[in-house]
Amino acid sequence: MRLYECVIIARQDVSSGHVEELLNEFCAIIENDGGSIQKREYWGLRSLAYRIKKNRKGHYVLLNIETEPATLAEFERIMGLNEDILRFMTISIEAVDEGPSVMMQVKPERSERPRSDSPRPDRGERREPAQNTETANVSVAEGA
Amino acid sequence: MTQLEITREAVRRPQNRRRKSCPFSGPNAPKIDYKDVKLLTRFTSERGKIVPSRISAVSAKKQRELSTAIKRARFLALMPYASV
Repeated sequence: MRLYECVIIARQDVSSGHVEELLNEFCAIIENDGGSIQKREYWGLRSLAYRIKKNRKGHYVLLNIETEPATLAEFERIMGLNEDILRFMTISIEAVDEGPSVMMQVKPERSERPRSDSPRPDRGERREPAQNTETANVSVAEGA
Repeated sequence: MTQLEITREAVRRPQNRRRKSCPFSGPNAPKIDYKDVKLLTRFTSERGKIVPSRISAVSAKKQRELSTAIKRARFLALMPYASV
């Protein structure tokens, strides 16, 4: 048994539910031969950096697989025949990375941004006597 | 460093700039991963070419790792082969 990491890109016209179905089909090949799926991550519909078979977007899925090399060859053959799969890449790895991959960590950063402009120092009340005439007028208006 | 020191060094050896250390070695250096597109794009030019290690100061071993990671990311259309 060996560990592999596989990224699969499915066509954009396919619904995400259908992608899941397709993957279950592929995973069954491995599981039927005694292998196992260690991790499965859906990265969502991402735009491709360049067009692949006239597609500009694709569903990305990451799989971490433990299986025999012969089973993997069969797994790849079946995927290559499927027209909804644009591309896949399998690499052998030493160990499965625990926790979500970098792709899944990108989103939380965005929510932190608007916080930067809310805590402003309070400028309302100014106790010190104003030096120039303009601010002096303001303080008078506030007092009245 | 004072002005004097810089000029003195420049006279002795004109190409002796302080060598930057490799961004991937050290205790909390980032791990090179083909999935980390944000990190990898820092080591490509605007056109999508891989920046030579003599400019980015990446060590030879890490540069090899980096170039495989970039090529993998390109194959998966996470990064462009060429842009513009």
